[in-house]
Amino acid sequence: MHLKYESSTREPLVEGNKTYHQVTEDICKPIEQKPSRLWYIGFFFSISLLLFGVFSVFWEVYWGIGVWGINRTIGWGWDITNFVWWVGIGHAGTLISAILLLFRQGWRTGVNRAAEAMTIFAVMCAGQFPIFHMGRVWDAFYVLPYPNSRGPLWPNFNSALLWDVFAISTYFTVSLLFWYSGLVPDFATIRDRAKTNLRKRLYGLASFGWTGTAKNWQRHEALSLVLAGLSTPLVLSVHTIVSFDFATSVIPGWHTTIFPPYFVAGAIFSGFAMVQTLLIMVRKIFKLEEYITLAHIERMNKVIVLTGSIVGVAYLTELFMAWYSGVEYEQAAFKWRILGPYWWSYWAMMSCNVISPQFFWFKKLRRNVPFTFIMSIVVNIGMWFERFVIIVTSLYRDYIPGSWSYYSPTWPEVGFYLGTFGLFFTCFFLFAKYFPVIAIAEIKFILKTSGNNYKEKMAPIEEKSVEEFAHEMEHAH
Amino acid sequence: MSQKQYWKGLEEQQGTEAHKVAASNEFSEPLPFDMSEGLLEAQTPRRDFLKYLGFSTAAAMLAASCEMPVRKVIPYAIKPEDIIPGVPNYYASTFVDGGDYCAVVVKTRDGRPIKIEGNDKSSINKGASSARVQASVLNLYDTARLRGPLADGKEATFEAIDRSITASLASSKKTVLLTSTVLSPTSKNAIQQFLAKYPTAQWLTYDAISYSGMLLANEASYGKKTLPAYHFENAKTIVSLGADFLGTWLSPTEFAKQYAQGRRVSAKNLEMSKHYHVEANHTITGAAADERATCKPSQMGAVAVALYNAIQTGATPNLGTEKLNALVKNAAADLKKGNGLVVAGSNDVAVQTVVNAINSAVGANGTTINWAVTSNYKQGIDADFVGLVQAMNAGQVDTLIMQNVNPVYESAMGDQFESGLSKVANTITFASHLDETAQKCKYIIPDHHYLESWGDAEPKSGFYSLMQPGIAPIHKTRAYQDSLLTWAGATETYFNQWEAYWKNKLGGQTNFDLALQDGVIEPEQETMGGASFSGNLAAAMQQINATKAGKTEVVVYEKIAMGKGGAWSNNPWLQEMPDPISKATWDNYACVSPKKAKELQAELTSITEVVAAKTVIKIKIKGFEVALPLVVIPGMHNDVIAVALGYGRSEKIGRAAANTGKRVAPLMHYNGATFVAYNDVTIERTNETYEIAQTQTHISYEGRPILHEYTLEEFKKNPNELIEERAKEIGHFASATPWENHEGGEKEAIDANKLAEDFRVNGTLYPNYEHLGVHWGMSIDLNSCIGCGACVVGCQAENNISVVGKHHVLKSQEMHWIRIDRYFSGMPDDADSIQTVFQPMMCQHCDNAPCENVCPVNATSHSSEGLNQMTYNRCIGTKYCANNCPYKVRHFNWMDWNGADAFADNLYEDGRRDDMNDELTRMVLNPDVTVRSRGVMEKCSFCVQRLQEAKLTAKKAGEPLKDGAARTACQQACPTDAIIFGNVNDKESAIHKVRHEQQKERLFYVLEQIHTLPNVNYLSKIRNAEEVIGGNEVKDGLMNDHI
Repeated sequence: MHLKYESSTREPLVEGNKTYHQVTEDICKPIEQKPSRLWYIGFFFSISLLLFGVFSVFWEVYWGIGVWGINRTIGWGWDITNFVWWVGIGHAGTLISAILLLFRQGWRTGVNRAAEAMTIFAVMCAGQFPIFHMGRVWDAFYVLPYPNSRGPLWPNFNSALLWDVFAISTYFTVSLLFWYSGLVPDFATIRDRAKTNLRKRLYGLASFGWTGTAKNWQRHEALSLVLAGLSTPLVLSVHTIVSFDFATSVIPGWHTTIFPPYFVAGAIFSGFAMVQTLLIMVRKIFKLEEYITLAHIERMNKVIVLTGSIVGVAYLTELFMAWYSGVEYEQAAFKWRILGPYWWSYWAMMSCNVISPQFFWFKKLRRNVPFTFIMSIVVNIGMWFERFVIIVTSLYRDYIPGSWSYYSPTWPEVGFYLGTFGLFFTCFFLFAKYFPVIAIAEIKFILKTSGNNYKEKMAPIEEKSVEEFAHEMEHAH
Repeated sequence: MSQKQYWKGLEEQQGTEAHKVAASNEFSEPLPFDMSEGLLEAQTPRRDFLKYLGFSTAAAMLAASCEMPVRKVIPYAIKPEDIIPGVPNYYASTFVDGGDYCAVVVKTRDGRPIKIEGNDKSSINKGASSARVQASVLNLYDTARLRGPLADGKEATFEAIDRSITASLASSKKTVLLTSTVLSPTSKNAIQQFLAKYPTAQWLTYDAISYSGMLLANEASYGKKTLPAYHFENAKTIVSLGADFLGTWLSPTEFAKQYAQGRRVSAKNLEMSKHYHVEANHTITGAAADERATCKPSQMGAVAVALYNAIQTGATPNLGTEKLNALVKNAAADLKKGNGLVVAGSNDVAVQTVVNAINSAVGANGTTINWAVTSNYKQGIDADFVGLVQAMNAGQVDTLIMQNVNPVYESAMGDQFESGLSKVANTITFASHLDETAQKCKYIIPDHHYLESWGDAEPKSGFYSLMQPGIAPIHKTRAYQDSLLTWAGATETYFNQWEAYWKNKLGGQTNFDLALQDGVIEPEQETMGGASFSGNLAAAMQQINATKAGKTEVVVYEKIAMGKGGAWSNNPWLQEMPDPISKATWDNYACVSPKKAKELQAELTSITEVVAAKTVIKIKIKGFEVALPLVVIPGMHNDVIAVALGYGRSEKIGRAAANTGKRVAPLMHYNGATFVAYNDVTIERTNETYEIAQTQTHISYEGRPILHEYTLEEFKKNPNELIEERAKEIGHFASATPWENHEGGEKEAIDANKLAEDFRVNGTLYPNYEHLGVHWGMSIDLNSCIGCGACVVGCQAENNISVVGKHHVLKSQEMHWIRIDRYFSGMPDDADSIQTVFQPMMCQHCDNAPCENVCPVNATSHSSEGLNQMTYNRCIGTKYCANNCPYKVRHFNWMDWNGADAFADNLYEDGRRDDMNDELTRMVLNPDVTVRSRGVMEKCSFCVQRLQEAKLTAKKAGEPLKDGAARTACQQACPTDAIIFGNVNDKESAIHKVRHEQQKERLFYVLEQIHTLPNVNYLSKIRNAEEVIGGNEVKDGLMNDHI
């Protein structure tokens, strides 16, 4: 599955002098210890945010969407902006676990568990918005194609919003399965180490009777491959379909064929930024710097500068197309984006998404942890603005000037958004406490090829001449 | 038949003792009640368990979920003859508010009026109505109306009040009856009977919006203290000096109908009146004008003089601005060609005298102005009122009886009137509300609403109209005529007198019944007559020349919705109706020009237009100041501030009226003879701001081809210009491409209908859907549309459209199914360059609707008749359809506006709109239209309930659907017939003719090129002007400066 020998010029993926046992110890430590004060503070804060979000949503459902700022012209505001933003964030996990798995990228093992968890939590957060942006959320089940006594009356399969329902739910299901199947051997490890009965029982339940036999591993590997194969198209399809919400419409600024690739690139861009934000915190708090190394951070920064440049090109392409198409409504839509009352959102997007990632062309900055941390937040602010720009600043001045309007969010909208942060971090804190944040089994896969101490052992071998090495190998037994 | 005995068994046949005992027991076996200790110990525990389970479940369900609210539904014990539940009755009646008149038809359902339409039989308003007429039905159910008579602020009986009033009247040395203009001949009779009983009593007429200047000028010029009948339809040249005759001046509904006749241009009929307009502020009449210029209100006289001189001597006018000079010069030249009409809004005798002289000079009298028939709309003389105020303050008046006047609020002399009122021993008012004057009165005997009244009106001499009620009086009110008759000691009621009068006049019961059915009694033909001018022109001119202009002047104007205020202030429909020009709701404000705003550091740009908090300015005259937020209106004279009447009222007028805007009547002044609606003022910027809720913030249409304007000359030269423009956009979908035809050098005419048909079929990848049978379509003529807003309120009344209140209008969450987009073009600093266009916009019922295919649940779909329909029950409220609507005409139920959702206590309340949900007010709801619940989308349905009714009627009669049988509410309300609606598949229908024969050159569809295939078409705006500025990048500064 993985290379037996790796060139010593490649950076080690696990630093320090690690043995298999040490790896298990390091990663299981947070689960087996009492959480730190910092964890409690963070968890309490997240729960409070979540409760505020629940209250905001309750307020909106009870009184009506009118407590938000959206209006007859701008029918989607922070709600769908946040939806697309969270879905975008939820892209890195699957990309890392599926596509990088298929491409045999060993470095993914240090980050994939946390990234996948992030994906799942982000998609959970994202899902809240399309549900609660409905005027009659209690009738939300109408979107499901179930046999009914109304004719039967089916949903409208022409609607991109319906495709969204399928795309997001499929993506969520597959991501969850993928994530969980990876967790099974690690849960078994924790079970086997458990000193309390309850822990033994719960992790025993969660590990589905994993015994670590060769057959277990073989099936596990096969399942991983199948799920990776399933998820790979999903990484591309989910945001493509989300972009169809806009691309299949007639609104200038939305009706664009460039949207699918542009959205996918943007999603990976923001997803990686979010992974950076979380992992830089995790490696610091749980002292996992030896597993999540500067090399990991640098690699992800490379992805960020690549995808950031792709979205930059997409932005410029949009401008070019507006000019080149000769469609005056399209041209005006971009004029008003750049110079209208929402000019600040466009320029926030441009500077955060296009200009700032260019700093990552410098190796020093790519390997600078505080800088990366700040940049990861900047990128996500930028990507939030990108969605805001696409949604709100396309709608606010479209075809008929008489209908133009403006929009500012109200507290329940902001509260809803903060609430999803609460949900996300509540889940993430629970995850960090109760789940192995790094895939123990998978990191062990690469330990002997890419671990620092093993690579050092390789050095004398590397120095040997080819003949000598071949001779030794032949007569090893 | 033999009495055969049947027996069930031998026991019965033999009649054994045992059988007799058994038969006497009803139940032959013991009942299966199990008296055992516990359920499980019972003999048949399973069966009992099921029984108990069934009972307890049923009981729990009853107790828990079947708590039904008690609804009061009272069936008719004896069904009234005329009322069939579910079937509307229509009654011809008359809308009268002081001198404002409209012949109407009242639609009642189950005994309650729910909709007012204009009466087609009336030759005055010819079926037209106004926003106020449309909204008047809501006033009937106004919760702030007084529920019974009050004496000294306490409830009292009519008898007690009558007793004390009769006693005091007998001893009153001076009694004054102050009324607004009375149109009713029988009411005048009643008043005469009262005056006859009390010889010391005096009857004065006071109009809050005064036309004394005209009345006095006409007396001086023609010897008739009256107003003539105007005929705008006969005028080839119309010159208006500040008269907003389409919006508020004298009889706007009547004039709008006439005016529109002269504005219907087509390629076959290129005749069009020329309308010159001079005004200080910006009105809808100014917007409709072909040539418009501005001047200060004090200078209107000078303009009239310059016009007179230009006509008589050909003198070149010298009025300061180039545009004004050119306008006067050209107007003079056109007026001399005959069929001219000059009207002036000024209430200054001198100005009106000069206008009379002009009309005489150009021969208007007898052609466009009819002196054989006079208009009775306004009869009040200001000097009488001022005399009364003085007499009251001098303590000379003992008794004051007031009908339909509220001088404390309405008059510029309100304060003096109020202080005078305290010196009058007996103050009696017939006010319907506890208004500013009524609050100071001793006796309040509320009058009926017109929909509860019998009566009549004579709006023009010889033209009569009858008023009949649509409902019995809701409250303990009494017709004011009955009050006067009671005090006069008459034995007959007003109704009896009225009935006798008309039966006598019409000759018998049959004629009377017929007249009541028709509603109007009018001569076949209006005789025309002239008059010759004999006024003192020199003196008038001298007086005008002596008038000095102020540095900054204020104009006090009437809003179309609000008028002088009155009960309209408490009408939520009118409060929320966007003002046609400012698009503002729920407030009054100071209208200023863009240049003035810039000077006051409140510049309007595309960036700042979205800020609702407007800078507040103080407007000061000697002894009075008022602080109002400024709203920038291009087309305002740079040194003029315009403020509207009807605001600044208290909670006592009603919740909708309360705590908004400011009373501005004191800004008018008395010039010694009449009240004039302008004043010299100083203004001062404050650092405060105030939020104004506007439904439209962007003022320019950015030169977009969403509307098309041409000058009459351009249209004459090439009527096909618009078709060519359309062909350029969509022509490449035709099988034979237009450019191929053109390359041959010979320009072949493009067939407009083929163009649209080719585009329909070829402009899509999908197969074409054939619309057989009925296919509804609408045509809106931008040339006829004057932006008055009657359709907006008509639609609201018909379709139960929710009022959302100021807070939600501020958030652009208003619900009007039809909005009128208003676009300015021109240079912001040059008021005279501004041209204004209105474009009504509602659901376009696209045959290829973008909203339909994005709805995830199929809640909006297309009917086989071309209607885009909403299924409210299916809608889950994703708002995707609204986003994808290029016209932005879908409206979402953001809140629980009217208690129609499943949540118990979440009704949206904001104070000012809350009375809309009162049980009384809800009587106005149309039972044929669903009241939408919170969280669903809604939009124009083409009044589908009316279409269904028309189709069913035709079906029952076994006839094909006749054109005109189905009319939409907006179409019916429109005073200028700008809206035509019908079945486009019917070759005989008006809509088919408009599209395929009469107006195919002017026809266009908004955003046609995106292939939405709208079923609403528009007809281009043709301005009889030198040039059209909209979209001209050099001359339309609002387009570019505005970023």
